[in-house]
Amino acid sequence: MSSPFESYDDLEDADERLQAADPGERRVAIIALGQSGDPAAVGYLKNMVSDPDAGVRQQVAMALGEFDGPESAAALAQLLVDPEPIVASAAADSMAEFKDPACADAILPLVTHGHAFVRMGALRALKELRRKDTLKPALEALQDADAAVRVQAIGVIGFLKLEESIPALTASTADPDAHVRRAAVSALAFSQMKPAADSITRALKDEDWMVREMAAETLGSNANGLVAADQLIAALSDAFWQVRLKAIRSLGKMKVDRAVRPIGGCITHEQANLRKESAAALGEIADSAAEPFLALVANDSDPEVRKNARWALQQITARKAKISS
Amino acid sequence: MAMDEIVGGSSEVSCDVLVIGGGTAGPMAALKAKLKNPKANVVLLEKANVKRSGAISMGMDGLNNAVIPGYATPEQYTKEITIANDGIVDQKAVYKYAQNCYGIIEELDSFGIRFLKNENGDYAVKKVHHIGTYVLPMPNGETVKKALYRQLRRARILISNRYMATRLLTSGDGRVAGAISINTRTAEMLVIKAKAVILCMGAAGRLGLPTSGYMFGTYENAANSGDGYAMAYHAGAALANLECFQINPLIKDYNGPACAYVAGPFGAFTANNEGNRFIECDYWSGQMMLEFYNELLSGKGPVFLQLKHLHDKTIEEIESTLHKVERPTRGRFQEGRGTNYRTESIEMHISEIGFCSGHSASGVFVDDFARTTVPGLYAAGDMASVPHNYMLGAFTNGSVAGTDAMEFADNHDFADFDAADVAKEYDRVMAPTRREDGIPPNQIEYKARRLVNDYLQPPKVTRKFELGQRRLAEVRQDMEQQMIARNAHELLRALETQSILDCADMAAHASLYREESRWGLYHLRTDFPDKDNENWFCHTLLSKKDGRMTSEKRAVQPYVVPVADDEKDLYDKQRIRASA
Amino acid sequence: MPLASYQTSVPVVVDDVKCIADKGCTVCVDVCPLDVLRISDMTGKAYMAYDECWYCMPCEADCPTGAVTVNIPYLLK
Repeated sequence: MSSPFESYDDLEDADERLQAADPGERRVAIIALGQSGDPAAVGYLKNMVSDPDAGVRQQVAMALGEFDGPESAAALAQLLVDPEPIVASAAADSMAEFKDPACADAILPLVTHGHAFVRMGALRALKELRRKDTLKPALEALQDADAAVRVQAIGVIGFLKLEESIPALTASTADPDAHVRRAAVSALAFSQMKPAADSITRALKDEDWMVREMAAETLGSNANGLVAADQLIAALSDAFWQVRLKAIRSLGKMKVDRAVRPIGGCITHEQANLRKESAAALGEIADSAAEPFLALVANDSDPEVRKNARWALQQITARKAKISS
Repeated sequence: MAMDEIVGGSSEVSCDVLVIGGGTAGPMAALKAKLKNPKANVVLLEKANVKRSGAISMGMDGLNNAVIPGYATPEQYTKEITIANDGIVDQKAVYKYAQNCYGIIEELDSFGIRFLKNENGDYAVKKVHHIGTYVLPMPNGETVKKALYRQLRRARILISNRYMATRLLTSGDGRVAGAISINTRTAEMLVIKAKAVILCMGAAGRLGLPTSGYMFGTYENAANSGDGYAMAYHAGAALANLECFQINPLIKDYNGPACAYVAGPFGAFTANNEGNRFIECDYWSGQMMLEFYNELLSGKGPVFLQLKHLHDKTIEEIESTLHKVERPTRGRFQEGRGTNYRTESIEMHISEIGFCSGHSASGVFVDDFARTTVPGLYAAGDMASVPHNYMLGAFTNGSVAGTDAMEFADNHDFADFDAADVAKEYDRVMAPTRREDGIPPNQIEYKARRLVNDYLQPPKVTRKFELGQRRLAEVRQDMEQQMIARNAHELLRALETQSILDCADMAAHASLYREESRWGLYHLRTDFPDKDNENWFCHTLLSKKDGRMTSEKRAVQPYVVPVADDEKDLYDKQRIRASA
Repeated sequence: MPLASYQTSVPVVVDDVKCIADKGCTVCVDVCPLDVLRISDMTGKAYMAYDECWYCMPCEADCPTGAVTVNIPYLLK
């Protein structure tokens, strides 16, 4: 009987197998190296990045993703600029899994590469590395001609959470591309300073509903979200119920007393989700002025709306009891 | 050599800690055991291949029970699970999970497993449950297994693929001594001596028969045939609350999740034929399943997952997760049916029954150290009794089990076992290969599972259960005397059939023992329609004593997080009528 | 009782032109949780030997050359 255990000798005849004439056989050898778990496999894999067969190079790109570290990142950097899209795309996916900050050295130079796909892949990989020296190139990439690159640049900046990046992120909330604006609004969430909250607030009037939705949601988790209370109340008449829903949730979370009536006005909306969030928010604010609105949905056709209305009334009663005691 | 030809024969190896099952809990248990004592030998035994085995073979679309600081507290989570499980919870293990799971998320993140993050790199947690916020989506969760395998290889765990464990070995004083397994392609036997054994063998998911009639079209990975439940039973371990079946709301026919946890945070919901919600919360519980079942039977069925009220762009985002992770053939299925989420709702149905504490509470009884009632034997994941613990629970409790099992192994020598037990097991396992003529396992399995549907599916009727037990006993006799296996692959199925029948017997026995109704649809007994807290506010433990299946009560341990009466009512009062 | 064999249509399809099992690849056979794929002695290519499919997709997702397609089994599609 042969050994019942998986072998750990994958590297033994690697040299020979990687030189097989048939590209299929080379692929099989590369798969084994990728799954070996042995960091020494990187030494073999990096020698295969110029294999004449694109399928083999694609396999190399996938296998290198198993080995987080600068040596592997350097090899992947070569594959990210591969002319074959299947190879470049596998390299981009592999790189994006890395966590070792030292990988940034090999990736950084690609942020200014001639091809947008390469720039995008490089920035995407830099996000999780969270290295401070990536801020400058990422800020420069906010001027990139390609919107997908600008979105990734915002991620790099946003993950770093540095207050010094607020002016640049604010500028990006006026980007011509809606995806970029949406990402920028989300990235501003961390800031403790008022200018960030002001920028997010302005985005409540963006022309794209998904940007407005993101702004309404983000204000609820921003340190200075309360400065936008009036604008959030105004957002309750947004043409998109999705935006209203997030505005209601944020107003509830921040317990904005003066929002009770405007939220109450949404409680009979045809979208059950909106009625539910209205009831829940009124419960979070727990102001007795909400009682007549909650009475409107006491017999709602949707049980989740009824449940939230019941809960809200309980919260109001509890708050009254607390005040009187 | 012919395909899967039976080679037979037997050999023996030994290790410090043996982990059986390489799905979710198993790899984590093996890693933690090795980390605890890097010099020790850790064997990870798997019926399929560790690379893609278990419930999460294609990854997972999100964490359902992430207790992340700032969104939920361990106290809140413990309370919520206690209520969802009708109070029958030993809270210590749940609380411990809740305290440890954030650390595990961070560790999984460091493995390269990707969770949804916002543009600041913080986890993007979503609200689905009644009180707290616990859902963390994983739109790129298809790489979970790849990342785990990478860690196993790096730690140089001894991995043994395509070996199905069949029985545990125990010493005269009842301590675990190892396990017996059989190669699924050659039928060679491998005896593994071990100081401690951790069972991570998944749910009993091939118990009921899917309504499609396709035997492998189960909700759970069809490889999860309840082998762990059967092995624990035969080794004398206690199994808890097996009458608390697993039943889930699923895409009709496809039989996979739709999935409310993915689409819910975006505004999708479960609706009846009139387009209205009929449950208060899409969190899966027995109560929710009862409401689902009632609605299906009422004139307001069928039941749907409704997305069509959402914006095109939102649906695009939902599709990108649903069709890539966990059960990626969902997209292909809907395409084949011509179902477009933008205009049509997804027809839902309820799954066949199974055991799974990952979703309900039916599992091998364990304490807060993942210890079973057999010394040296541990269990974690879907097959261990910590309720509602899902994938993150499998990782977290697998980690607890791995560490504690290695500590046990460090302090104990190998337990002795009787060599005659091995010879006896070899004969038992090989018996179907020695018959010239008989019934193939697929027919025996089909019949057993069809009987499970006919007689054991809730609502549970005593008379039906008694009839079911008689019919199942007849099938058992056929299985023991006439089942044939003509190659090693068919022997694998034959052995699985034995696990399935053991689980069916346990499901019937446990259900008849608890004389009340509890956990909504999971244990709805028509002869005892009410909850009876006076007599049945307890666990039930099923075990093998003197060769016979027996059940007994076990008190619920005092709560560490008290639950107020009005909080308990949250679930009971869900179905308040609109006119009331 | 005597045994009969009967025909069944299987959900996993392998493109023999793309399949490199004859070059030593065993990826799809390795990853299948139900162990239903085998490599044919006659063609050297992978094929579905047993109709016991959970339509879970690792065989398709992990195939290095994109040779494998998982269809929905007929009984439930």
